Amino acid sequence: MLAVAAPRMTPAGWTLRAVVSAHAVAIAGQPVFAGMYLTGDYAGLSLHSAGADVVTSIGYLQVIVAIVVWVRLRQAWPFLATSAVVAAETVQYFAGLDGALWLHLPLGVTTVVAVVVQFIDVWRRPLLRQGAADA
Amino acid sequence: MPSGRGVTRRQMLGIGGALGLMAATGLTSAAALARRPSITGAQLRSAVPLPPPFQVPLPVPAVLKPVGTSGGADRYEITQCEASAEILPGVTTPMWTYNGTFPGPTIESRRGRPVTVSHRNELPVPTVVHLHGGRTPAASDGYPTDLLLPEGRQEHSMHMGHGSEHGMHDPRAVVTELTRDYTFPLDQRPTLLWYHDHRMDFTAPAIWRGLAGLHIVRDDAEDALGLPAGPRELPLMIADRAFAADGSLAYPALDPTLRVRPGVREPYLAGVLGDVILVNGAPWPVHEVDAARYRLRILNASNARHYELEAVTGDGHRLDLVQIGADQGLLAAPVVHRLLPIAPAERYDVVVDFSGVPIGGLVKVVNRLGSGRTRDVMAFRVARKAADDSRVPRTLSTDLPAWRRSDAVRVRDFAFRAGRMHSGHGWLIGGLPFDPARTDVTTRLGDVEVWRLIADVHHPVHLHLVGFRVLSRSGRPPLPHDAGLKDTVSLRPGEAVEIITRFDGYRGRYLFHCHNAEHEDMGMMANLEIV
Repeated sequence: MLAVAAPRMTPAGWTLRAVVSAHAVAIAGQPVFAGMYLTGDYAGLSLHSAGADVVTSIGYLQVIVAIVVWVRLRQAWPFLATSAVVAAETVQYFAGLDGALWLHLPLGVTTVVAVVVQFIDVWRRPLLRQGAADA
Repeated sequence: MPSGRGVTRRQMLGIGGALGLMAATGLTSAAALARRPSITGAQLRSAVPLPPPFQVPLPVPAVLKPVGTSGGADRYEITQCEASAEILPGVTTPMWTYNGTFPGPTIESRRGRPVTVSHRNELPVPTVVHLHGGRTPAASDGYPTDLLLPEGRQEHSMHMGHGSEHGMHDPRAVVTELTRDYTFPLDQRPTLLWYHDHRMDFTAPAIWRGLAGLHIVRDDAEDALGLPAGPRELPLMIADRAFAADGSLAYPALDPTLRVRPGVREPYLAGVLGDVILVNGAPWPVHEVDAARYRLRILNASNARHYELEAVTGDGHRLDLVQIGADQGLLAAPVVHRLLPIAPAERYDVVVDFSGVPIGGLVKVVNRLGSGRTRDVMAFRVARKAADDSRVPRTLSTDLPAWRRSDAVRVRDFAFRAGRMHSGHGWLIGGLPFDPARTDVTTRLGDVEVWRLIADVHHPVHLHLVGFRVLSRSGRPPLPHDAGLKDTVSLRPGEAVEIITRFDGYRGRYLFHCHNAEHEDMGMMANLEIV
């Protein structure tokens, strides 16, 4: 079924919502684990690094979904925003491994904010095919 | 052209742009304001003119002669006294010293041959002597409340530091007056130890004023290796200091008498750094060497300053720093570094080969973590060609303990972080400031344990009595300089280190603590009871 004029969410739109939501949930855990770790719970360290793997993986998955959204719905914004977030998360990942806390802490906060903003954006309105929305 | 309900594309772009600007500003501010590389502590500025680097010759502390060698043991006497020293040329600096010198005299000893040092306290304050890295019975380990009082100062034992100020008393303290014998069995691997003051609440200012000296343990196996020796073996005690206008050592103590109120002024809570780098008590010294291999036995005796050392020739070439030993003696095999990090109280035994340096060339020892004058440490002037029959064997030792995780009977976690103690800022282990009356860890003699240490800022963590091995850093393999047997491990900000050790030797009450001396005085110690 081709998306015609009907203002209805496509599977691609729903998938993006799902991935961004999972991304937001995963990234919200990161400061929690960091706090556990720095107050002396060693398990917090492995949770934080496992969390980093999960968040980054979801980020890359989100890039793929955003490309599909771009192709199917002619909406480039999700892709551009996701690319920025994933770039930040990649830097964040290595800043964490490197112990560069001057970067890791502010960039971590920034990345959480960015994912939350994206979460609001994808749920605020239905993702429609560009032509359909403007028609 | 509305793109959604109520929000125009123009508004979306505006909000997005503002968020992007905020993120960019935040990150650039972090880059600009944060210390990169990170440094824990604040630097004092000297109020006297500082000498140019590499002018003063490197002193080597004199080896103390025993007063008796009978009965299979050596006996030494050390008087702790005030003395004046000329550390900066033309400047007289009053100090607290062991036998009138800074560093104190070096004690040379043999593995398994006991040494008794009789300390006499002629200083205006109580003292405590701890032999750092010594495998010492608790009675001679220098527990912080086991005070050695100056003559006629018995009344002070009731008014010292935490004891009175915070209503804590240590019923187990063994206090003596004027003299005290410390006996060291030295049944341990040969290595460079150091002795220093360890008095409750006032360790940092006492070390700063000069109460530190070297103690070397040797054995036949090490002597037989053929390492550089004699004048080609140099102890290097690196320490930073700052000087007040009157030539005295500047230190931001809350109580300048160093008797009642512990701690430092607020800006220096994270640690006191000086702007003068001393090696063996001389500012930025220079040492003439042969074009040959030298064994440098490096100790960081600074209160809080970390170094990343490299040896740089005149043409910018970096010499190999071949590490042969750690805090607790020889490695299994040499480890080659170009850059060697060293935290307070750590020791590295390093061989440097000057044979490739042109005669007359200068090799600077540089601290990559320093800036301005604190970037330089010392220099070697290669003076002459010389024969060299020394060597660095591929196998240095075969007696390193091989504890495995599976040997451990328990695992303990400790967080080292800032917090509040009593009424002010302090430094805590596991959320608690030091209390002599509280046993934090009880373990059985002979038990193997894994300890997981987590830091908020830099914390060089030191265990008394035992050596340990580093198992991991932040869940990853240890770094090259973590090799061998250590007694102090440097935790960097946000880092976790796993160590493994066996609590053997002696039963009794010992300590583990952060060896940032300011942190140590402001709560960051805990009791280790071996039963």
